[in-house]
Amino acid sequence: MSPHRHSHAPHHTPGPDGVVLELQSLGVTLGERSVLHDVSFSVRRGELIAVVGPNGAGKSTLMRAICGLVNHDGVVEVNGVHCHDRTDRMDLAYIPQRNDNDIAFPLTVGELVCAGRRRFRRWWQRPTADDRVVVADSLARVLLPGAADRSLNELSGGQLQRAYLARALAQRASVVLLDEALSGVDEPTTEELFDVFAALVAGGTTLVVATHDLGLVRRRFPRCLAVNGTLLADGAPVDVLSLDAVDDLFSTRPRP
Amino acid sequence: MSWLLDPFRAEFMQRALVATLVIGVVAPVVGTWVVLRRMANLGDAMAHGTLAGVGIAYALGIDVLFGAVGAGLLLATLLVTFSGNRRLGQETVVTVLGTAFFGLGVVVISRLDTGVELTHFLFGRVLTVGWGDIWLNIALGGAAVAVVLALFGELRLATFDHVQAEQVGVRVELVQAVLVVLLAVVVVISLRAVGTVMSVTLLVTPAATSRLFARSLRQMTVWAVVFGVTEGTVGLVLSYHLEAAPGATIGLTAAAVFAVVFAATLPRRMPHHHRPLG
Repeated sequence: MSPHRHSHAPHHTPGPDGVVLELQSLGVTLGERSVLHDVSFSVRRGELIAVVGPNGAGKSTLMRAICGLVNHDGVVEVNGVHCHDRTDRMDLAYIPQRNDNDIAFPLTVGELVCAGRRRFRRWWQRPTADDRVVVADSLARVLLPGAADRSLNELSGGQLQRAYLARALAQRASVVLLDEALSGVDEPTTEELFDVFAALVAGGTTLVVATHDLGLVRRRFPRCLAVNGTLLADGAPVDVLSLDAVDDLFSTRPRP
Repeated sequence: MSWLLDPFRAEFMQRALVATLVIGVVAPVVGTWVVLRRMANLGDAMAHGTLAGVGIAYALGIDVLFGAVGAGLLLATLLVTFSGNRRLGQETVVTVLGTAFFGLGVVVISRLDTGVELTHFLFGRVLTVGWGDIWLNIALGGAAVAVVLALFGELRLATFDHVQAEQVGVRVELVQAVLVVLLAVVVVISLRAVGTVMSVTLLVTPAATSRLFARSLRQMTVWAVVFGVTEGTVGLVLSYHLEAAPGATIGLTAAAVFAVVFAATLPRRMPHHHRPLG
């Protein structure tokens, strides 16, 4: 097996300084209401980043805007390429909140992961033997070896998250955005997920995780973005989540 | 055995059987996706709505099939165009358009002075289906099945997670539009045999039945076809013995099978059986 063909390195080369994702003055307006404004930050290859903020702060909207699922102002660049619509963002993978997809859908884990390979072929082409190797490989990397033939609805919540991560790996995504991947997940499952996060990050994938769990962010994330209507802080959790800062962040009125 | 075979001594019943079998294969293949994409109400609106084309074609003295195709495609286009309206939502748009087309059909047929009965169009006349209709249905139905098989992978991606599908290059809206057109095709080939009202029966019920236990999409499609073909045949035979409308009898048969499978799979679907992997 050639290390190049099956390597888990992201598909495209990152921009200067290893920047894989850059936002410039991103803003989202839904109807009359400004949900997010002036959000700018950049993300490097292999970073593990938490996005925190109260309910309604715009964490999900931020992720959906980055993926092009909601209209936004400002600029989103992925691997140095300015994104115009959703199809420009194949290097991004979005893992929605758990109940967004019908997990009782008659689908095997292998079929789910293989969906990541779609970007490398045309619509009429079937998955190849190579694709199947990548699928098996990706599943092994998220600690679900041999699960390809399992039915999706046999998976626990944490296993499902890992199957989605395997799909992102198969997609060769540079950046994976996980929306509330850690809520309602028990302690052992969280540990499993972080083992997988660590392996992915070591392989050069960037993970951006929206979460409510500030304790977990303090303990496990090297970088944290605080969002409430705009980007309030960006840095190490020890600074971003100091007591005063958290008080501000979770005050009921978003900052102007 | 003779109970099952006797009805088919007459040639008109053989034609009826072939017509039903074609629907029994094609409708569940398309219906699998209608059920998975939760478009059953769209199918129902489409089924009712084609009556407008049927009525107008009949009034103009052209083959009702062309009327049905025209109305089906027009309705499909309107549905695809307007169902994205955020203020209303798809179900509302579907119902408004479907009832409008249905109403138009009823009014046109009522105004005709030809003695033709509305119920013929609503519930079909499988016993008067000619070989010409059957060949046309085989051609249309074969094309529909071919399209579903060709798009199987795209349908799977677009249906399970349309967000990711779009991101990796699936044209989700095009897939949806194709499915709406396929829906119109199923309604059209069902028209003469089971009528507009009952044409959704074999579209939705067999696929819904196999959805209860199928573990993969292939399994779901194959079982839906098995149910569709069996229910169509048994329903036709029952209608012969009961002297009842075939479309309605097929509908009842399909519903009965659904009820039995639902009850039989109930224990399996209980939450405590959803144990995680080891």
